[in-house]
Amino acid sequence: MSGRPSLEQYKKNIEARDFKAYKCAKCGAVIAPPVGVCYSCGGTQMEWTGVSGKGKLVSYTVIHVAPEQFQDEAPYYIGIVELEEGTRITVRLTGLDPQRPAEVKIGMPMVLDYDTGKSGRTYLAFRPA
Amino acid sequence: MPLKNTNIVSAAQTKFGKLEGVTLREMFAEAVDKATTQAGVPKEDIQAAFIGTFIPEMLVHQGHTAPLLLDYAGMRGLPATRHEAACASGATALRAAIMAIESGLYDTVLVAGAEKMTSVSTNRATEALAAAADDEFESGIGLTFPGVFAIAAVAHMQEYGTTEEDMALVAVKAHKNASTNPLAQFQKEITLEKALTPRYIAWPLKLFDCSPISDGAAALVLTSNEKAKQYTDTPVRIIGTGQASASMNLCDRTVLTSFEASVKASRIAYDMAGLGPKDMDFAVVHDCFTIAEIIATEDLGLFEPGEGARAVREGVTALDGDMPVNPMGGLKAVGHPVGATGVKQAVVVYRELIGEAGPNQVPRHDTAIMHNFGGTGATCVVNIMRRADA
Repeated sequence: MSGRPSLEQYKKNIEARDFKAYKCAKCGAVIAPPVGVCYSCGGTQMEWTGVSGKGKLVSYTVIHVAPEQFQDEAPYYIGIVELEEGTRITVRLTGLDPQRPAEVKIGMPMVLDYDTGKSGRTYLAFRPA
Repeated sequence: MPLKNTNIVSAAQTKFGKLEGVTLREMFAEAVDKATTQAGVPKEDIQAAFIGTFIPEMLVHQGHTAPLLLDYAGMRGLPATRHEAACASGATALRAAIMAIESGLYDTVLVAGAEKMTSVSTNRATEALAAAADDEFESGIGLTFPGVFAIAAVAHMQEYGTTEEDMALVAVKAHKNASTNPLAQFQKEITLEKALTPRYIAWPLKLFDCSPISDGAAALVLTSNEKAKQYTDTPVRIIGTGQASASMNLCDRTVLTSFEASVKASRIAYDMAGLGPKDMDFAVVHDCFTIAEIIATEDLGLFEPGEGARAVREGVTALDGDMPVNPMGGLKAVGHPVGATGVKQAVVVYRELIGEAGPNQVPRHDTAIMHNFGGTGATCVVNIMRRADA
């Protein structure tokens, strides 16, 4: 992956099941989802970086009532995962029973996955490790 | 230093709910008329208008609402500006008005907010509301507003042991308070069992954890100390105001059991007023979801982090408790016409402080705090108000 990172390419990478995060060229902080300025050092030059795909669950929900474009996929999990690299990202969660959300525990180890919904869209996802 | 010169001298709201056949401009004009002419404030005295609407472009296909609404209310010609900060639109309009009076630019101004939400389908309204979250990274992958607050609820439950029943008790209290508020969308008490009906919107939030889709408008007249006595013997001073922002995306927050913009805005407001949480007699907070009320009471320092649920369980936040919260019924039961909400909260504080809240009157009513929250918590406005003779 070459060239200056862009939001458009970030989303295309997810669609192609090839997730890449931003990395601050100045201090090396791994950033996802993208922001215009690095909150660690103020740097504005970004590069692409791969990630380990390991993380832990920060919190989650199961969406039952969804906007029209997602309703066919409900109920579905959405969670926040903290990557080993330090950044947190909002993702779909796979490999969990939507009828048993109380059994899911914050802090559980997760690994990178992708989920193609009924809409045909590919979502960045994580599943229990 | 406390603000020195800003007084609320009249306050009014329309009924909130599904207002069949009433358009945005008509409900706006009704609220404005009640807060001006009917309250003894001639419209000719108003020098400028600060107006909160969230997303009329999607809900009623109308932009540039400030001059339009003001014109319909018979005040054509005045400087009129629309303020938008999602669900905090109303309080950002109020804050702009406070700054305008404190600066000396104007003596007397109108603050008003309105939203017409029920003329479109629930799906369309949900889509419009979702525009208040980040469309690229959160709402764009199917995270809804109930989902945002559900994520905060799960974090709060697993960190502090807050339960679905605790949240349901907030709904029971809201409906109880609203049962004696004729302007509320829901004037019916609900049982705990009903509040716990397992109709999940975004687990663990159920139907009765969520505020409704509503129509409604609210208005205030603000004026300087010099002019205030012309209009009323009991003006209410705004003595502290704070505003803060946070990341739109929940994933960019380091803490999910608290909303950092609420903490920041409230500390600014307290410092300005020279007061603290213990000086507050009651609170009006942004209970778009039941968990939002619990977290807001902690973020404002009324209770320690993790103690908000216990305060509800023990009745501390009830109308007759030591720290009444949302004494008229809150967004949850009175309704949440988004642009009107922040203004309506100030209307509630005003009515309680001057002792004109009828069956919803809180026993101690000298000083109070209001908290209005936008979207995912990316905007928060907090104001501290005190009766001028207190």
